[in-house]
This record gives sequence, structure tokens and C-alpha cells, in this order.
Amino acid sequence: MFERDKDDLRNLGINIEVGTFDPLFEDEAGYRIKPENYQFQLGQISAQEIALLSVAAQAWRGAALSSSALSALNKLHAIGIESDTELIPDLAPSIVSQNTNLPIVISAITSQLVLSFSYTNEEMAAENRVVEPYAVASRYGHWYLLGNDLDRKAQRIFRLDRIAGAAKTQGRSGSYSIPADLDVEAAFSSQQPLSSAILLLRDGRALNLRTRIKEISDTADGSGWQKGEITFRDRERFLEEILWYGGDVVVIEPADLRQQIVELLREGVRKYG
Amino acid sequence: MVKRQATPVERAARLLDLVPFISTHQGISLPDLAKEFDLSENELLSDLNTLWMCGLPGYTPLELIDLEFESGYVSIRNAEILQRVRLLTKQELVIILLGLDILRESFATSRSDLIAPVENLMAKIREIVGNIATAAPIVDSSHRAMISQAIKSRCDLEISYYSTIRDTVSTRRITPLDLSVDFGFEVLNAYCHSAGGFRTFRLENMKSVLLASTRSQVPSQNSEMQFEWKLSITSRLRTCLERFRQVAPEFAPAQGMSLEVKSFSRDWLLRSSLSTLGSAEVIAPADARSSLADACWQALELYE
Repeated sequence: MFERDKDDLRNLGINIEVGTFDPLFEDEAGYRIKPENYQFQLGQISAQEIALLSVAAQAWRGAALSSSALSALNKLHAIGIESDTELIPDLAPSIVSQNTNLPIVISAITSQLVLSFSYTNEEMAAENRVVEPYAVASRYGHWYLLGNDLDRKAQRIFRLDRIAGAAKTQGRSGSYSIPADLDVEAAFSSQQPLSSAILLLRDGRALNLRTRIKEISDTADGSGWQKGEITFRDRERFLEEILWYGGDVVVIEPADLRQQIVELLREGVRKYG
Repeated sequence: MVKRQATPVERAARLLDLVPFISTHQGISLPDLAKEFDLSENELLSDLNTLWMCGLPGYTPLELIDLEFESGYVSIRNAEILQRVRLLTKQELVIILLGLDILRESFATSRSDLIAPVENLMAKIREIVGNIATAAPIVDSSHRAMISQAIKSRCDLEISYYSTIRDTVSTRRITPLDLSVDFGFEVLNAYCHSAGGFRTFRLENMKSVLLASTRSQVPSQNSEMQFEWKLSITSRLRTCLERFRQVAPEFAPAQGMSLEVKSFSRDWLLRSSLSTLGSAEVIAPADARSSLADACWQALELYE
């Protein structure tokens, strides 16, 4: 049997062992699938659990991974326990990603295959990246890949919709290992340190910013402004957010951020005035 | 959408999954079975004809799977070995894990009777595949369920909506048309009776969604005026393109690029241009430029 065929079978979840199994013909190579390497692995499962797993798989309806979701559903239904959907409130959880790189990335992670792809940088130029993929996460409406960037020799996070074209796998499966203590949450929050700013917000305005401010206080002069402290990670993004609100938000601190806003506004006056 | 042809490996996988399914659903009708596996009846018959020839070593009629489907109902015998439900692949486990993560967030925190088993299943799966996938939903599932129900039953909705463009929360009566995905975000296309026009609502900005008792006709044509602004981008190209929802050009221009952006909302164009003040300049029309000048002056006065 070819290695390639064995890989195909492995991707179906079937692990093949080679050996001689026939006591009479010892030279005859045989292939064997151990029952524990073939059989459904979540053990005894209740009707409620079948229902929960089914709803979870159905969340992918119409998304990039719907064919894997369908085969998972077929297997769940084949167990022959009627799923108990009565117990689950009428919800329609849904995963909307049509991103065609998501299945490629997930399959690369599960078989530990190195990925190479072309990544669009801030100036819209394509950069070639070679990455050992560790994990995927959906955050703020986007899908992200966390991996070890082999050229930069450090962990990096990539937004999947910024990968141009299809990501390609290279090398053999299992060519690296995912750190056992991988903490996806921590990796995401450590990419950029947390900074904080003090803002003035006009009465009843900048509602989205207000939801992120813990304590908000009226200014003493009764001028119709409130004051609050807010945290942010990406400075450029935060600048853009402040500017979006125009004359409804004023930065008090830090001084350099305030100065940067003032310069941008002056530039605007010059350009448009 | 045209259905992709299954690869031989995918077909083999499906054959392996058909056996245990039929074993637990003896006598299922051909149409029902085809529906479960998302196949046409012809594709299913071709699969069943292949299975009929399968069996274990020995390959005499005694060892072959005994499949009966001529009556239009499918039953199976002599498939004891193959009727084990196949292992979920790691890929399937990962997508179920992500689905469970989203499902858990959709339950109200008071439903610990549901959250506990979901977390228990997630822990079981993580033991097999590792902690390699998480998903944090930004849309309230109950809102999506309510919207789907309204579209199906052609009912209006009353929503409380936070508009980032107007920076206000308002209650609107809308006739929902369809759900779609806009640059990665789930949106509802609808006719808004409060605004008197077609609007696109981002699901994550909906604060509440209620079924209204009314049903309405929507005008067949959009009579609203579209604004068209010309911009020149000098830096932070990717950010600007994402901000103005433009598809990236195939080749990155060496020095800046110009852009034409259309929208029904002048406010959106204005705020987006303010946001990208340092990297983009609106070239035309003239009234857009003077509005931006005013907005910059007003904001600057607060600092000086």
C-alpha cells in the first residue's frame, strides 16, 4: 500500500497497522485496523449530548466546512439514539465563515503540517510566510490563525481574510508539535500590551466607547460631558475610533495621543479648509 | 450552487458511514436516506450498488453485506463488523468543538443544565485534539433565530438597534428580506419603515429583536439617492480599503491609489473619512470636503 493512501485513510480517521496476521503465511504482509482506532471515540453518549453535538455541527450549515459537518452529523445519527432536541431552546447558532482557507488551516493543525501562504501587509504588499500552525480562533467577527512563524522565529497571529489565495501545506504530517501548554487566550492578549486613556465624552454620544468604560463620571462644571478611562491595544485602530466620533470625544491623556489627534485634525483643516 | 463532485476518498468515507446509519435506521426510505447524506437518489443508488458488493475476506456470498433496497426501503444484514460507527476525524472534532463553543455562549447563563454538558463535551474533545480552537460569537443566537422565523413567516420585526453611523440606539419597525454576510459580518437586509428605505443591519448591533404583529409590502425599487465620493489613499492602504469596504486590488500599487466609494449614507462616508484622516483624502465632491473641514474645525476647537 502506498504511503499516500495511508495518509488518505488517516485523514478519514482510520489508522492502519502493518504486520503479519496470518499464522500460516508469515511473509504475507497484512493491514489491520484496530477496533479502538476505528470506533466512535466519545464513549457512551446520552440523547441530550447527541442533540447538543448535532446542533453544534449544524452551526456550520452553508459555511466553508459544511461537508465535514455533514459527515459528522451522519455519524452522530448513525449511533441510533434519537437526539433529544426538545430540551434545547430554539436557537440558531451559526458560523458564517465562507473563508476557503479555514478548512485548510484546521486540517493543517490537526495533521501538524507546515503552512505557507502569501499575507497582505499594511501597504497591501504580499509577504510570504511559512508557519507551523497551532490554533484557530474567531474573535471580533474575524477568524485568526495562531502559529510559529518560521522566518521570524516567533509566535504570530494572522487574520485569515488577509491571506491572499489558498494556503499550501508542505512537508510531512507531524513535522512539529503544538506546545502542550498552549494558551490561545493568553497568546491573543499578549500580542500587544494594554494601554489606557482618559476621555471626555459628550452627553449621550459615543455609545460603543461607553460600553467599554468601567466607571464614568460627570464633569463638575455641568457642561454636558462625562469623563472615563478606557483601555486599548492597537494604537492606530484606537486613533481611528476616536476620530470616527469627531467632536463628540476628546482625549485628555496620554499627552502624546492627544497631541497626535490634534496634529491629525490640523492636517484635516489644512487639507480641506 | 453547483455541488462539487466527491473525491474517491470522500466517497469511501461515505460508504463507511452509510452502513452503521442503515443498521440503526432499518427500513428507511430511499428519499429520506438521500436527504440525510445530502445526495441525489441516483448518487445514493450508485453507493448502495457498490456497498452490495462489499464484505469481509472470504468474498463468498456468505460474507457479503446483505443489502435490500429494491422495494424503495433500505435494510441491511450481515454487516456486524462494519456497522460500528466510524471515529470522528480530528477535523470533524474541531468543527464540533467550535460549534459547541458558540452554542455555549448562546445559552442564557441561568441554563447551567445545558452549559454543563456542553462544557463536559468540549473537555472530552479537547483531550483528543488539544486546545487548538476557540470561537467567541459576537451575535446573539436568539436574535438570529427570531429573524429567521420572521423571514419564514413573512412577519415584520421591531428591533432596537445601535447605529454606529448615527451613534444612537433607536427602535425601528422593519420588514426582513434576507440574512447575508458582508465583509465577514452577519447582516440583515431589510426595508426599514422608520427610515423609509432599504437598510442593512449588523446583527451584533441589535439590542433586542421582537416579532411584530404586522406584515408589510416593500417597494420594489429603491428610490434613494446614492452618494459617490472620490478618495486618494496615501498610506495604510489595507486599513483604508477595509474601512471603506473595498476589495483589494490584485496588484498593490507602488504609490497610493484612488478610490470611488458609493453609499446611501452620507454620514457613513463622512465618519469613515474622518477615521482615516491621516491616510486618505477625499478629492470630490466639494460639499464633502467642506463638511470634513467643518468637522475637523469643530473637533480641533475642543482641544485648543
